[in-house]
Amino acid sequence: MLISQKSKEIIDSCRFCWMCRHICPIGNATGQERNTARARALSLSLVERGAEPLSEVADNMYECALCGACTNECVTGWDPVRFTREIRLELALNGETPDYINRLIENICETGNVYGMKEYTAGLAAAIKPHTAKTDTLLFLGRDAIYKSPESAINAIRLMEAAGIEFTVLENEPDSGFAMNFLVGAAEETKQIMKSCADALDYDTIIAYDPADAKTFMRDFREWDIPLKGRTVTFTSYIEKLINDGALKPKKSDITVTVQDNYNLSRELEEFLPARNIISACADIKEMLLYNKDTVLAGNLIMNEYMPDVMKAVARNRAVNALNTGAEYIVTQSPAEYEMLKLGGEMPVMSIEEVVLKCLQA
Amino acid sequence: MNDFLMDMIASELEDAVGRENCSTRTIDKLTHSVDYFWLSRMWADRGKRMPEGDFVVSPKDAEETSKVLQIANYYKIPVTTWGGGGGTQGGAIPVCGGILLDTKRMNRIYDVNTQGMYIECGAGAIYKHIEWAANEKGYATMHYPSSLTCSTVGGFLAHRGIGVSSTKYGKIDDMTLQMEVVLPNGSIIKTSPSPKHAAGPDLNQIFIGSEGTLGIITKAQMRIYEQPEERRFRGFLFHNMTDAFNAGRELLQKFKPSVMRLYDEAETATLIKKIVGVQKKGAFMNIAIEGTKELAEAEHKILMDTFTKYGAEDLGSEYGEKWWKEKITFFYPGYMMDLPQMFGTMDTIAPYDKIEKIYWEMKKAIETNFPMARFIAHFSHWYEWGCMIYDRFIIDDVPEDPHEALRLHNAVWSCGVRTAIANGGVVNDHHGVGIKLGRLMKEQYGPAMQVFEALKKQLDPNGIMNPFKLGL
Repeated sequence: MLISQKSKEIIDSCRFCWMCRHICPIGNATGQERNTARARALSLSLVERGAEPLSEVADNMYECALCGACTNECVTGWDPVRFTREIRLELALNGETPDYINRLIENICETGNVYGMKEYTAGLAAAIKPHTAKTDTLLFLGRDAIYKSPESAINAIRLMEAAGIEFTVLENEPDSGFAMNFLVGAAEETKQIMKSCADALDYDTIIAYDPADAKTFMRDFREWDIPLKGRTVTFTSYIEKLINDGALKPKKSDITVTVQDNYNLSRELEEFLPARNIISACADIKEMLLYNKDTVLAGNLIMNEYMPDVMKAVARNRAVNALNTGAEYIVTQSPAEYEMLKLGGEMPVMSIEEVVLKCLQA
Repeated sequence: MNDFLMDMIASELEDAVGRENCSTRTIDKLTHSVDYFWLSRMWADRGKRMPEGDFVVSPKDAEETSKVLQIANYYKIPVTTWGGGGGTQGGAIPVCGGILLDTKRMNRIYDVNTQGMYIECGAGAIYKHIEWAANEKGYATMHYPSSLTCSTVGGFLAHRGIGVSSTKYGKIDDMTLQMEVVLPNGSIIKTSPSPKHAAGPDLNQIFIGSEGTLGIITKAQMRIYEQPEERRFRGFLFHNMTDAFNAGRELLQKFKPSVMRLYDEAETATLIKKIVGVQKKGAFMNIAIEGTKELAEAEHKILMDTFTKYGAEDLGSEYGEKWWKEKITFFYPGYMMDLPQMFGTMDTIAPYDKIEKIYWEMKKAIETNFPMARFIAHFSHWYEWGCMIYDRFIIDDVPEDPHEALRLHNAVWSCGVRTAIANGGVVNDHHGVGIKLGRLMKEQYGPAMQVFEALKKQLDPNGIMNPFKLGL
């Protein structure tokens, strides 16, 4: 295998270790042994030793959500996400990417989004229209919100409007590269998409609505030395500041919520408090047993394209955690988890902007 | 078996459990072929494929399990049950191929019953998940083995597992109220509604520890406990192990701590030094006391009085707290022994009149017959009448040839376990038997083995259930 020596080291450490099994949202949803970091490592260690061709285990590499729960759990500090990403790249370079993944890659190449969609909904287009003029501040909605969760995107715009600030939303927003990175890792094509995105964005402040894009801008762009002009902030930290500055004045309601921490925020960007501060101003919070860095994925819209039943089960499991708190609503920070939890159907879902909007209206 | 018949059986299995839950994919066969057994790991490390199941099936409940077993009996094909695959004895390896039955879809938590003080769950539930379910209601399972996060309820039951708080709360077999079991012929049975009764022998204890050779456990009621108001730790250093055994035995005549762990001088100087930070020479012992504040206070005083009598140096609470925090860290890669080393835990148990002699005899036998081996031990599960040895051998220079490595591995094991048996110990304390120690079961039990053989013959006349495990 052509992967890094570090990844080979991780593989040989993880191949006989199950200590993170309990925390894998996919394994917990499927009950399948192959959905463990150990299984992926074991199979790859056998590939490395010539006992099995890589193509035989290719599918399994796409059954991982790359959410990093296993990495977070590992006392020794091994990172199974790293070798999984690198293997996806190797599969792509070998031309061994499964067909259903190739279709998604083609979507990105042809339409600029992994879902192969060409138009915004009329409601979203109308919400964007008043904000197309150039300002210093860009609200970057992201692919999941635009194409799969337009209601979330509209609410994000409405909340920014409520604060009375000037901001821009692009009618033809560029692709951040998150999806291509998810599917094939650090390929030249991924970096090219990211570079094009960076070139197209020229703002003092970029507010990344989707935590996945925030992570891409704030971590991956920097890691791969792709310069992004201006300052990137997460949507949650921006809204928190608007509340602190008095631009938004929500009135605390009597509802009780639990918060679905998105792993891109809590683990990758180590952002935890902004969402708590926002929601505390609006509602009472009952925490789930696993939150902050220990959060559990509630769904991934890209994976929902090729393993929808599993994604529904992932969402259902997380909703059960939420139900056990006794809260009335589960509040999300990412459009993907918002949509997946709604599909899971176990518990009423609100996005964080919905919560604030509701409390502004009250 | 020819391709046509394979396809016919696969289609019947798919009919029983659903197509997506019956796999012949390489990834599924492969990942169910290597468990925590050193030999399976070594085999894979040498680039060799372990024996694999022909079909990997994941039933969702007892009814589907029953259908699978009826199909297996009709075609007379082996069935090996897999929970988490975290066993060290090769019990979950499908050495004869056939059906690999993974229980993890049977992971539903049906009831956290705070009146009856139990959780009812599918046998495929990860134990950590039932611990979380108990925690959410303010309770705890008190079953904390190092494999808590890896292993299933059924897996722990199958090999009679144990956790670090065993002295107060018992082994897994003490924590089980009722079980649902699918017999090899497909009959679904329930054990007695209560574990304490006079309605004949205890059915629970026939199936607990049977390692999938007599049936498949599909559901269980596991005890839960109130969280203790207080959990106190105290570390001690004894001059020698004799003093520690005497102190431990005397303490247990007065009350039961939750954790009692005594490390021999070698393990104190290596693992304990590395992870807990104790730098001194001697035998380290860690004690945890828990319960109500009043009881913890009284027990603490008894502990200090008793151990002082035996010359124990009080190391305070810090080491014990660190040990509790790190109790699972010992088993992560980088902390645990790993390939290319050869290693194994030959845990055994005996009354106090024999246990110390067993330790010294096993140490002598291993170090004399295998001078390249290191021998370290701790004593981690204590009762009023005796305790167990968690003794390990470690060999750094292992033959590269897998067949030679296997021979050496088995020779060390036979030597160690035979020495234990000869001095009044048992084949194993809490890891089970599997294929690793099956050959030694007859040596321990002698004519008593016919009881197990009769049960096997009656319940599994076609011999399909986990063949070559448990010496059956």
